[in-house]
Amino acid sequence: MADSGLSPSRKSLDPGRLEHLAVSRTGLVFDPVSGLSFTVNTTGLTILELLQSGVSTEEVAHRLTEIYAVTLESATAAVAGFSQQLAQSIP
Amino acid sequence: MTSEQRSNNWRTWTIAITGMGARADNPAPGLAVARCLRQHPEFRGRLIALSYDALDAGLYDDHACDEAYLLPYPSLGEAALLERLHEIKSKVTVDAIVPCLDAELDNLQRLQPALAELGIASLLPDRKTLTTRSKENLPALGAATGVATPATRIVNDMGFFDTCHQMGWSYPLVIKGRVYGAHVVRNANEAKTACWRIAQQWGYPILVQRFIPGHEVNLTAVCDGESTLLGAVMMRKRGTTDQGKAWSGITIADQELLEMAETLTRHLSWRGPLEVEALRGEDGKLYLVELNPRFPSWIYMSHAVGRNLPALLMHLLAREQCPALPAAKTGTLFIRHARDLAVDFERWAAMATTGNHASPPA
Repeated sequence: MADSGLSPSRKSLDPGRLEHLAVSRTGLVFDPVSGLSFTVNTTGLTILELLQSGVSTEEVAHRLTEIYAVTLESATAAVAGFSQQLAQSIP
Repeated sequence: MTSEQRSNNWRTWTIAITGMGARADNPAPGLAVARCLRQHPEFRGRLIALSYDALDAGLYDDHACDEAYLLPYPSLGEAALLERLHEIKSKVTVDAIVPCLDAELDNLQRLQPALAELGIASLLPDRKTLTTRSKENLPALGAATGVATPATRIVNDMGFFDTCHQMGWSYPLVIKGRVYGAHVVRNANEAKTACWRIAQQWGYPILVQRFIPGHEVNLTAVCDGESTLLGAVMMRKRGTTDQGKAWSGITIADQELLEMAETLTRHLSWRGPLEVEALRGEDGKLYLVELNPRFPSWIYMSHAVGRNLPALLMHLLAREQCPALPAAKTGTLFIRHARDLAVDFERWAAMATTGNHASPPA
């Protein structure tokens, strides 16, 4: 995810904001409230689409282990890290 | 022609639009207003470009307007403007006027009864509102409405910039003209140069405003005769010129910005088009920076997102019920570009010497 220029304070994901994010198939994400945009890689796009469809972070991690050759532990850490960065990107 | 004789169907009207300057770094809104009306699927009327300088590109853009006339500069007063409007009316029907420049609004406001007598429909804020929303009165307006604004003061003595830190005004600061111009300055020398530039171009007074770090978000809409805010479209600037003018922007939906606009327009009993310029500070707060009584230069975005605001204004002027508008589409980007317009010598000469050219060359 590209640097959004925001402070690194911890923040949880707002489901309402998450739902309204516009996500292109090529990985550009646009927040219609703040007007900020950023890019995500293929893995980030997978995680984001699952989160937007209402899948829990635990279930997203499980799905990642089915798609990619990763352990549940590293998938869980990746989802947590991504969610944290995403929360900071939609102030 | 009196207002009684004007057709009720705005779709066939002849509409005059001012602000046809199209300087690449700071275009006036007129051409964008014309594009909105021209591209409205129901509009079959004519558009007249009104401007102040024979080098304003909108006077010659035949895709935008059907005819074009020069007006006397606003500094010549409302009597000169009225005389010119009578001349124009003797040559061509004018059913409505959409003013697009801040500097001309005082004159046009004073001429409201005369415009009505001429059969020219318009919708403008009253004189008190125009004064209350002016840049120097913004802090008082903010205090009255609970809207945050950057501290602002008039500067009469250039020595202020050498000693301003003693009065709690630290750099960077924003130097502004009363009507136009805004420069961010980082020291006394830059401040004095900016003051001189603004005074040369736009006159006095000069205002100084505290600089608020953040990003700019703008809203445009139209208010009906009861101050109801209609058709709001919001955007965040993505790229700016060295004057801070939007070069690109993207449509957003910021509920707090919408509520700010509704608070202000209700308080001011606003009528007609408006633009709210606000800053989302790095502190997360929303600050009102300017409140303009006209459409902005990015008004074409209203057509692009399904809320053609110049057409909505025509509904109001024709006393038609306004159509239900779709939600403004977010994530639509605009990117401004400059282009050259080739103008035949005779057309330019006619404009420069007689103040109009009736039609494009065969």
